[in-house]
Amino acid sequence: MNIKFIKRVLLASLLFLCGWNANAQHQFGNSRISGDFGFNGMYYIPDSIIGAEPVESKVRANAFLNLLYNNGGFSAGMRYEFYMFPLIDFEKIGYQGQGIKYFFADYTNKFIQVTAGNYYEQFGNGLTLRAYEDRQLGIDNSLLGARVRLTPYKGIYLKGVWGIERDNFEPYLGRHDFVRGADLELSLGEMFPVIQEKVFIARIGANIVSKYDRPDNYIRFPIGGANSDTMGIITLDKLPANVATWAARATFGYEGFRIDAEYARKMNDPNVTNNFIYKNGEALFLSATYSMKGFGIAASFIRSDNMEFRSDRWENQNSELMINCIPAINRQYSYQLLGDYSFASQPNSQIGAQVQVNYQIPKKSVLGGKYGTDITFNYSRFHNTDQQPVQEAIDNGTPTGTMGYTSQFFKFGPDLLYQDIGLEISHRFNNKKWKWILAYNYITYNLEILQGHEGMMRGHLVASDLSYKITPKHALRLELQHMYTKDDIGSSLYAMLEYSISPNWFISIGDDWNYGNPEPDHKVHYYNIACAYVWNTTRIALNFGKTKEGILCVGGVCRAVPASFGAGLSITTSF
Amino acid sequence: MKKHLLVILCMALSISLFAQEENNKHLAKLPAIEIQDLNGNPFNTKDIQNDGKPVIVSLWATWCKPCIAELLAIADEYEDWVEETGVKLYAVSIDDAKTSARVAPFVKGKNWEYTVLLDVNSDFKRAMNVNDVPYMCILNGNGEIVWQHTSYAPGSEEEVYEIIKSLVKK
Repeated sequence: MNIKFIKRVLLASLLFLCGWNANAQHQFGNSRISGDFGFNGMYYIPDSIIGAEPVESKVRANAFLNLLYNNGGFSAGMRYEFYMFPLIDFEKIGYQGQGIKYFFADYTNKFIQVTAGNYYEQFGNGLTLRAYEDRQLGIDNSLLGARVRLTPYKGIYLKGVWGIERDNFEPYLGRHDFVRGADLELSLGEMFPVIQEKVFIARIGANIVSKYDRPDNYIRFPIGGANSDTMGIITLDKLPANVATWAARATFGYEGFRIDAEYARKMNDPNVTNNFIYKNGEALFLSATYSMKGFGIAASFIRSDNMEFRSDRWENQNSELMINCIPAINRQYSYQLLGDYSFASQPNSQIGAQVQVNYQIPKKSVLGGKYGTDITFNYSRFHNTDQQPVQEAIDNGTPTGTMGYTSQFFKFGPDLLYQDIGLEISHRFNNKKWKWILAYNYITYNLEILQGHEGMMRGHLVASDLSYKITPKHALRLELQHMYTKDDIGSSLYAMLEYSISPNWFISIGDDWNYGNPEPDHKVHYYNIACAYVWNTTRIALNFGKTKEGILCVGGVCRAVPASFGAGLSITTSF
Repeated sequence: MKKHLLVILCMALSISLFAQEENNKHLAKLPAIEIQDLNGNPFNTKDIQNDGKPVIVSLWATWCKPCIAELLAIADEYEDWVEETGVKLYAVSIDDAKTSARVAPFVKGKNWEYTVLLDVNSDFKRAMNVNDVPYMCILNGNGEIVWQHTSYAPGSEEEVYEIIKSLVKK
């Protein structure tokens, strides 16, 4: 049997299984099979002006199928992924291959949950462990192994994990690394009813996570400048095979107030992202919120230094083999023209804060109108951390093999990474037919550190989003955005008109015009025409147009998006 | 290679078509998944219920514009809906660690009267086979899923309300 034949059989059986399952039955007695499917394909057309290079295969697609079986406390599931000829974004990040890379069996009752196979897990805020997936970004850091969650007593939650982290479509066989960890959380409110009666929230938790990565390559580096002949060596026995991290956290709340804090520390972990230094890493995450009817304020602070934590000390691509996830706490926007200037979390060097205020001008007041007016104000600023090289690093001309640097904990470093001042007003007019969102943002974005281009980008964005309900089912939405900047690719204007017929049809046409590009022949119109049909849980969408080279960020985790031109088809469904 | 893609595409279309066949004999219930309430206390999704009255479950996120538009549109009517049908809306946020602390101030700032839950690791989303938010489903008085939908188009809240009214009449 050749591989092609096996693949065909596999595909055919999957096809059969789905058709049969989706068509015939969802449920037999207490058991139930469900699933979902996604297909995202594109036909590429080269366009030299926007930088859309000719690609090897013009027709490409990402596809996956999830199947889930449930019977009382028992569940099992798997995902088949077909990324043999993936969209070029995914090929660029190495997310290419096919197979069943996710499967599990799970048993849950009141006291215990046992999972074998692949699983996703997060301890606390994820500073030490966050195995997660983001399909849009091409991240799947699931662990293959076993997990146990225990609730031995009311309010006491214990978790233990052991597993090998997924590395895209690379085989698990022959890997010499794994992750293990344990987490304890005490919910004091549940343990001591007195606390709960007084409406206090009080929870504390702690965890330890350790990775094993068998050293199999010593590290050679020049001492005394790049042209020096003197070489330093980190021998295998000097490379820690086990790297431990730990974190402690607490949450306290009373009525509208809430405070979350978590501190994490990583033991010496020389790796390619920190120039193989032996300094310990640390991270602090603080968040304080207050909310009452019609008003909410949230402030958060983060400092993380030398906290990249990966299963492989030689890995430095995107989020590949990342064990933890240091959150980027800035506000996340969905405005087209801000997309390329989203802040990406810098686990090895960032310190900053963010404040957001939500306020609703009361309903039925003069300014609020019948339905109230919502105002959101936002400010955030992030720097790198302060880093002073140790004497040995100065003498050697390289930090490699040394303690690297010292850092004052609360001192902001010299480089501004990102700043955002934003105001958003949303208002519904009295007849409910009109709705308007108006936003202004002033963004400062460090192109050099965050994207590898030169300089800083400073830009003003004004965005307007106006909706008009023509009839109860027909609606129009007009988005207008203007980004004014002298930096990077210059100013842009964006307009998008969407027509929707509830609940099935969406048709839109948009244009992102980079009119301020310093190079005259790069003043390009990135137009896009799209149509989608939604039927219950199935969505079929067609689009045609151009995509600007840039970055895509979800939750402060980003990946590059190459320029492209072509027609796309996407189908998602669940059953 | 193109053959492969074609097979996959056919598979996609066939599943999509078959998936929508209504199967009224065996209505599914919500899976029992451990998530959190707004205070971070554990909450099991099997406890999503409303004393025999209909329930709306919405999966949303603070960064998802259409989700917010949908919840805002319902918020305008919610008082009337509750009064007339006794319906209850559970808004399950899939915000992760980065933004989950901002959910409470956000919800209070918008003055929403919904029961808000946090699915910070997307466990519930996965168990529900949801690909993208916004996702909404309606449970009848027995906790069975009678309707589900993804995306939001202005006006689809009217359809939601029609279904809820028909459930109450039965």
